[in-house]
Amino acid sequence: MREQILAALAQYGSPALFAVVAMASIGVPLPVTLLLIVTGSLVAQGVMPMWSAIALAGAGSVIGDQIGYAIGRWGGTALVSRFAGMLGGPARMARAEAHARRWGGPGVFLSRWLVTPLGSLINFTSGIAEYPWLHFLLWDVLGEALGAALYIVLGRIFSDRVLELDAALGDFSWMILALLAATVLGWVLWRYLRGKRS
Amino acid sequence: MRGTSVRLGYDGIVQRPSKTLILAVALCVAIAGTFIFAFRAGRHARHLRWENEPIRPWMSVPFVAHTHHVPAAILFHAIGIEPQQHDRRPLRKIAREQHRPVEDVVRDLERALASAGHTHPALEPPRGKAP
Repeated sequence: MREQILAALAQYGSPALFAVVAMASIGVPLPVTLLLIVTGSLVAQGVMPMWSAIALAGAGSVIGDQIGYAIGRWGGTALVSRFAGMLGGPARMARAEAHARRWGGPGVFLSRWLVTPLGSLINFTSGIAEYPWLHFLLWDVLGEALGAALYIVLGRIFSDRVLELDAALGDFSWMILALLAATVLGWVLWRYLRGKRS
Repeated sequence: MRGTSVRLGYDGIVQRPSKTLILAVALCVAIAGTFIFAFRAGRHARHLRWENEPIRPWMSVPFVAHTHHVPAAILFHAIGIEPQQHDRRPLRKIAREQHRPVEDVVRDLERALASAGHTHPALEPPRGKAP
């Protein structure tokens, strides 16, 4: 799959870029980071203009994200209310939704470019939590514009080392995710131990 | 579940792992993951400076030429194609059109790159010791 997608990008350019980033944002597991880096390399080779590549990648991602959000909002709510009992009951679900509303903006923004493996999941959960659509759209556009620009510019700078750069960025992204998990778990453990003592 | 033991199954009392233990183990896994991925990211970042990009079937001839800093014409000639500036066909497609395995095409390109290394300094291996 990865080979075909990159081959399509190398051969067809912009239309392939737009279609693939949109599909990936909905949740189809596709190598978007590598795609954007290769796009940067194609920019360096003079195959694509920089600004149109960034605009197309950003627009494709935002459209895909909106579809993911809509699926969560109008399809996910029914699913969640059906399985609310299994997920800790309505009270717990309400708390989770309030949490998502409170931290939704920065979460949406950071998952567009820093912790990209969480991107499509956050689209879906933002929809389920009924995070206000206009806020979601604003954070999404900001995050995706930054993400597209960042990876395409990096690809342009390291245009002759795209595979190694992709591997480095992939591991960096997972490192951030693991660090985030460690921070949250450390905090939960500390709070739990403190509660037990008192 | 808080630090209690629960009667499970058929032959007695089985101690469930406490919440503290589960959280501590998960924390250790997350910390280990952080270090492992940091190490891997650092290793890849170092390779950015030292290693040549491998040739993959999705790449086009101009793409390979760009990543190895050689004129595309040399590579086009190496696989028996008339050089064209806008030929962006992936190597897999070229191989299919030439009725041969893509590995053959890649091998021809690698040979051409190796011989071009003598005339193009950018292709020579870096001086000094790789970390």
